[in-house]
Amino acid sequence: MSEVKTKNPAAETDEDAALFEKRESIMLTPENAVFSRSEGGLISLDVTRADGEREHFERVVVLRSFPITDPDEYIAVREPETRKSRRGHEIGLIVHIGIFDEKTVALLNEELDRRYFTPEIHRILSVKEKLGYYYWDVETSAGHVNFVLNNISSNIRILEDERIFIFDIDGNCFQISDVSKLDRNSYRKIEIYL
Amino acid sequence: MKLMYELPERDERAFAAAVGEGEKRMYCLPYNIEVDRFVSGWMVFTDQYIYKILDGELKEKFKLSELSDFSTENLYGSCAFYAKENGVSRLLCRFISGRNLPRYSVMVKACEILAEGGSREPLTNSEPERYCPQCGRPFVLHTKICPFCQDKKEIYRKLWAMTKGLRLMMLFPLIAAALSVVFRFVVPAVQRHAIDRFIEPALDIERGSMAEFLLIVLAIILLDVCHRAIDVIKQRMAAYSGNKFTLMLRALLFEKIQNLSMSSVQHKSTGDLMGRINNDVSVVQNFITGNLPTYFAQAFSFLLALVLLLCLNPLMCLFVFIPLPLTVFIIVRFWDTVRQRNIHAWLITRRTNRHLQDILNGIRVVKSFGSEEREIVRFEEHTERQAAQDESNAKLFDTVFPLLGFALRLGNYMIMLYGNLKVFAGTMSIGALNQFNSYASIIYEPLMQITAIPRNISTFFTSLNKVFEILEEEPEVADIELPIDIAIEGDISIRDVTFGYDSYNPVLEHINLEVKQGEMVGIVGHSGCGKTTLINLLMRLYDVSEGEILIDDVNIKDISQNALRSQIGVVLQETHLFAGSIRDNIRYSKPHATNEEVIAAARLANAHDFIINLPEGYNTMVGEKGYSLSGGERQRIAIARALIHNPRILILDEATAALDTETEKLIQDAINKLTHNRTTFAIAHRLSTLRNADKLLVLDRGKVAEFGTHAELLEARGIYYKLVMAQQRAALQKQM
Repeated sequence: MSEVKTKNPAAETDEDAALFEKRESIMLTPENAVFSRSEGGLISLDVTRADGEREHFERVVVLRSFPITDPDEYIAVREPETRKSRRGHEIGLIVHIGIFDEKTVALLNEELDRRYFTPEIHRILSVKEKLGYYYWDVETSAGHVNFVLNNISSNIRILEDERIFIFDIDGNCFQISDVSKLDRNSYRKIEIYL
Repeated sequence: MKLMYELPERDERAFAAAVGEGEKRMYCLPYNIEVDRFVSGWMVFTDQYIYKILDGELKEKFKLSELSDFSTENLYGSCAFYAKENGVSRLLCRFISGRNLPRYSVMVKACEILAEGGSREPLTNSEPERYCPQCGRPFVLHTKICPFCQDKKEIYRKLWAMTKGLRLMMLFPLIAAALSVVFRFVVPAVQRHAIDRFIEPALDIERGSMAEFLLIVLAIILLDVCHRAIDVIKQRMAAYSGNKFTLMLRALLFEKIQNLSMSSVQHKSTGDLMGRINNDVSVVQNFITGNLPTYFAQAFSFLLALVLLLCLNPLMCLFVFIPLPLTVFIIVRFWDTVRQRNIHAWLITRRTNRHLQDILNGIRVVKSFGSEEREIVRFEEHTERQAAQDESNAKLFDTVFPLLGFALRLGNYMIMLYGNLKVFAGTMSIGALNQFNSYASIIYEPLMQITAIPRNISTFFTSLNKVFEILEEEPEVADIELPIDIAIEGDISIRDVTFGYDSYNPVLEHINLEVKQGEMVGIVGHSGCGKTTLINLLMRLYDVSEGEILIDDVNIKDISQNALRSQIGVVLQETHLFAGSIRDNIRYSKPHATNEEVIAAARLANAHDFIINLPEGYNTMVGEKGYSLSGGERQRIAIARALIHNPRILILDEATAALDTETEKLIQDAINKLTHNRTTFAIAHRLSTLRNADKLLVLDRGKVAEFGTHAELLEARGIYYKLVMAQQRAALQKQM
């Protein structure tokens, strides 16, 4: 990987230049940022910089800095990654989503919920084990799902606040925010893995 | 990997209604998420449109010529497929990442081609499918085995075919098992005789003589001895035939793995292959030699006991079966609990261990931040949990085991009750009751294992399947029917060669190259430009997708792989020396090389001088646990190894990359000697290594960018010129 750099300092400096040229990430507030729904149903952003320069982004990507512990704080707003530019640049950070008006919050949350899609498990119908794979049949907030887990010890994660995250073999994430609220049968099925 | 799924009927209808005439269906992929629900929708890609179909309805339709900038994005847990429609970004669909990301990655490329009006040939993806086509569940890791859909008959058939020549030997343990069962059944019958005749004779039977009594005792002892002797023989036979079978299976597996093509080996991890050779074969062996005769014996004794009980007293036999459902229920439930408890205990132990390992590994960090106290508290929490779990398990098991014993004896108690009533009434002898009771106990014995049987069988099948999977793999690079063994001179011509590990991603495109015998060609280019791939094609580790490679005007596909590779010498950047002496390593490709040849090769490689100064000379042990050699020394041994069979074609793949300038000079010198009169391909970072190359080949993104002599390329002021300048500058900076 280092080959390109050692071989071709010219390319390296180009890359560096691109890095430095990158705009500085700013704090986004209702005063300098207007989020709106884009024509394609995604999020557009108009930014006014400190020097008065205005900029329009047809589509921005919003990311949570602390998706699990503090989902509303420090939301990063970035340009989308593309195959050509690879890494999207960061436009700015939102300290707390609550500083924006309700409509904007709803818009941002819709996009964020889509990204951090973590269905809540309401009921566990069955858990079957076969050859080290665990076949789950559950009802979630996103409908009835069958999923497969391997390596339960690392794919069932218990957070400090007792929330449970389950990562299946396909990369899906499910959560149980309060295990004590599960019905008795469901609880008995998950109990042994906790 | 599948890119054309079958649409369910109603979705097919929806698609048929929407699709225009003359459109060609190219790909059809599932999508899985819509807003906040899991759904089962479809994306159908034709050569003009993308149709999004959900629940028998056309949701959306995109015209490919209006789309651009396709991309996939990893969301949390799922992924999304985006594109721009007339410059407006759109989310086309969302899908489950693990299942479909590789497929949609192909779509990004495929849609680009279609949108730009490129080729109408569907792309393929050679990545192995990871989900069962029948039930959609994931395969067992690294395999194509679905635990739910394995065809057991097929496996039986293969296993049966495999045991040819061993069958008689494998039958013997079964016969012996049956025999030993028979002996077990004879003993209670003899005992009955003893009891009824001597110990508590029924009124109508005459008491026997002392001699007869002794005879019976002797018979019982003899029966027991026979029973045990057969057991011993059975075990020995089983071990013998099992080992023989295992030996054969392991040898077959290893041979197969050695002969598999590079491309199929590449998809498997070393750990996985080792697992198959060791663990899976052991599982198969244990099942065949251990479980199988046991199950057979148990089934046999169950049936035999049943028949005997029915013959002895059909009514009393009923009592054996009345508590059976209850007993089975208790056993199944009990083992279920035991298993769950064990999993739980195992999880907790694992967490504790992991925590412990983490902290001990980071002990310096813990100490330097002074957080020992905190870690002690955290560790105590872990161990306390573990202790609590162990205690509760111990309590439960100690209570349930006796209960289980009771459940198993329920039938016996009922027989005792009823039988004794009959004995008091004088309609049954004590001996007969004893015999009956013994048989009844035998019936219950196999029940203890009832829950383990399906599990064992399914583990056995999967292991067997994994073994067969390797054995049946067809090598992708295969010799033609009558391969030619030629003595290579060294003229090489590469004609319009295109190759990609995946068809949608060609690594090399339209490569043309003519190399005369004895020439040295240096290959230069950025990483990922296809240098190593070109070398792999020359060695025929992979077959070209298009075009041909000729050696002395013979297509390399017509040359036997053996002949080809035995005449090519390879030195790689990472030199792997096998465990063994230096001499063994040097003559690896020519095991019967004379000592003289070994020394000559070592001299050519500039290795003789350091080897001779080692305490044990050429007999010095190297490899994992041997004498530790420096990188340059290892490299020179590797060069000697490549030279010993005097190859006509020499390949140096970054052979000097990891060395310092001093050693490089030594090796450079060696290389100069050995490239003499051999066609040589050398890949190198340091252009100085290629100083003596006759021709230089500059590859850029899979294409030949420049080809010519050092002087010609400098003259052309292209990529090579820039590289040379950059390295000179870097060298100058270092000196300052």
